[in-house]
Amino acid sequence: MTALLEVRDLRVTIGSTAAVRGTAITVNKGETHCLVGESGCGKSISALSVMGLLPRGSKRETTMLRFAGEEIGKYSERQMERLRGDRMAMIFQEPMTSLNPAYTVGSQMTEVLRRHRGTPRAQAVDRAAELLARVGITAPGLRLGQFPHQLSGGLRQRVMIAMALMCDPELLIADEPTTALDVTVQAQILRLLAGLQKDFGLGILLITHDLGVVARIADRVSVMYAGEVVESAPTASLFAAPEHPYTRGLLTCVPVPGKVKRDEPLGSIPGVVPRITPGFAGCGFRDRCSEAHAACSGTIPRQTVSDGHELLCTLAPGWGGKAAA
Amino acid sequence: MSAPAIEVRGLRREFRVRQGMFAPPKQVIAVDDVSFAVPAGSVLGVVGESGCGKSTLARLILGLLEPTAGDVLVDGQRLGGMDRRARARLIQPVFQDPFASLNPKRRIGDIVAMPLIAQGNIGRAEIGRRVAEALDRVGLSRDQGLRFPAQLSGGQRQRVAIARALVLRPRIVVCDEPTSALDVSVQAQILNLLAELRRDLGLTYLFISHNLAVVEHIASEVAVMYLGRIVERTESEALFAAPRHPYTRALLASVLTPEPGLGVPDVGLGDIMPDPANIPTGCRFHPRCPAALTRCSSEVPRTTQDGVGLVECHLVGQAA
Repeated sequence: MTALLEVRDLRVTIGSTAAVRGTAITVNKGETHCLVGESGCGKSISALSVMGLLPRGSKRETTMLRFAGEEIGKYSERQMERLRGDRMAMIFQEPMTSLNPAYTVGSQMTEVLRRHRGTPRAQAVDRAAELLARVGITAPGLRLGQFPHQLSGGLRQRVMIAMALMCDPELLIADEPTTALDVTVQAQILRLLAGLQKDFGLGILLITHDLGVVARIADRVSVMYAGEVVESAPTASLFAAPEHPYTRGLLTCVPVPGKVKRDEPLGSIPGVVPRITPGFAGCGFRDRCSEAHAACSGTIPRQTVSDGHELLCTLAPGWGGKAAA
Repeated sequence: MSAPAIEVRGLRREFRVRQGMFAPPKQVIAVDDVSFAVPAGSVLGVVGESGCGKSTLARLILGLLEPTAGDVLVDGQRLGGMDRRARARLIQPVFQDPFASLNPKRRIGDIVAMPLIAQGNIGRAEIGRRVAEALDRVGLSRDQGLRFPAQLSGGQRQRVAIARALVLRPRIVVCDEPTSALDVSVQAQILNLLAELRRDLGLTYLFISHNLAVVEHIASEVAVMYLGRIVERTESEALFAAPRHPYTRALLASVLTPEPGLGVPDVGLGDIMPDPANIPTGCRFHPRCPAALTRCSSEVPRTTQDGVGLVECHLVGQAA
């Protein structure tokens, strides 16, 4: 498999917070890689920094940021602008805030193509209608003339996806694309993404906090905590044999119909996510971890559990016998 | 089964919505003839998609909205027309967003004390004692009672909201999406807390959520709402084991459990979205129903109530 996106040792500091601390992410062609974690763990910031869309006042450092074999870490803003929306596209959680309320769906969708490719208007409109139909929107001609507020949440998210596909991107970054939607619509949108990936050979970096979504759609999962990827593995192996105490804890927190009896307590992780300042050393999870010991405040070893399954923890793989989940 | 702690009879709420500057106002029926009873100490989960009327139902029950028709009874007493202070002693809310539901300029202890102060006849020493007790119940320290909401995490704020709901020792707590804004590890803490409080204090919950896995975990009975009506109401285990309404089946099918390899299910609902301003004729679910018959578009299905529960569907009536 060819790597589409390779990020090594990504560090992002925003003001006095170390938001991302040495993250590595690889997305292969035609693969879905899920970044999972709780709010504030740095998953969105990691994705934004790949796109060069970090908030003002943040600092990015990385030893490698390669897209389709090319190092883009040193790209100028103008060079990044050419890539964004063209070869790499992004969709966000709340489609209402990322669509412009003052323009019709049609004019927003065609703008991408006209700007990047200089495609004539009529042709761009045809392409937009074709993609709207592809994402399951009936009567695309009607929708092109409508404004975002006239569409339901599910339709808006479909429009966002269609817009992201206008220039045939190689990489799609989706930041919580279904979190604001009803479960029924979520299933439809995820099916759509999976279908598109097959047809277009897209590489998808999907950011989510929902382990159900991860299990059903990801080829590979990276679990983030306090700015670091603490565990990364092929999906089946992560759910069958989670190694990091945080991953194990997270999996017991999720209510699964039929798994935990009603009124019996769910597993939970005590405490709250710490705020990490630059210079913080050791494991970010140690204050909430039941297995923490002295070595956890030192340098944490990166271990290989099995082929493609990596762990950032002082515990030896297979600790505590068979994994809880 | 004990006597119902809360009973809702024929509850209905209409809104008049203007759709354009000159268009005549349209009538939207957000809650349409909803009735149920919840026995003391149990939990009724209410599920449905956005716009199905579940939050309007919560607001009607809490007395934040006046019903167009129908009654809410707590322990046999009608809430409509009851004094606000008396009502507050019987029923209390916990809302979704702990960032929006707490006054940012007041200390935690004062926020929790507010329902007691509003009663107007409770002494200061008594208020102090009961606030401390409520904070303790939800796992907050006295020191945290002196802080402001901005100094607490999302989970801690939701604990504050729960303490405020409990401080008057109500019979009923209406939880409207109480964990939807929280991270999974924190969600589990709050769910465990709610379950523990119900057991220890004998509370009755109305638990509204779009997350079916959460509802399955906490609710003893589940009501499924679709465009303002309860289309199925059944004891929790039976509902999850054998859903009878096609809509319930679709909802359950769309729950993504963390089991890799199963892929994303085809829910089979098509892309017609429910619109409360244009409720379909006949069975209101028929345009999306994968099992719809011809009569479903013209005849309103009758309510079938049997040993299993309540369901409103032509298919169920037929099979019986």
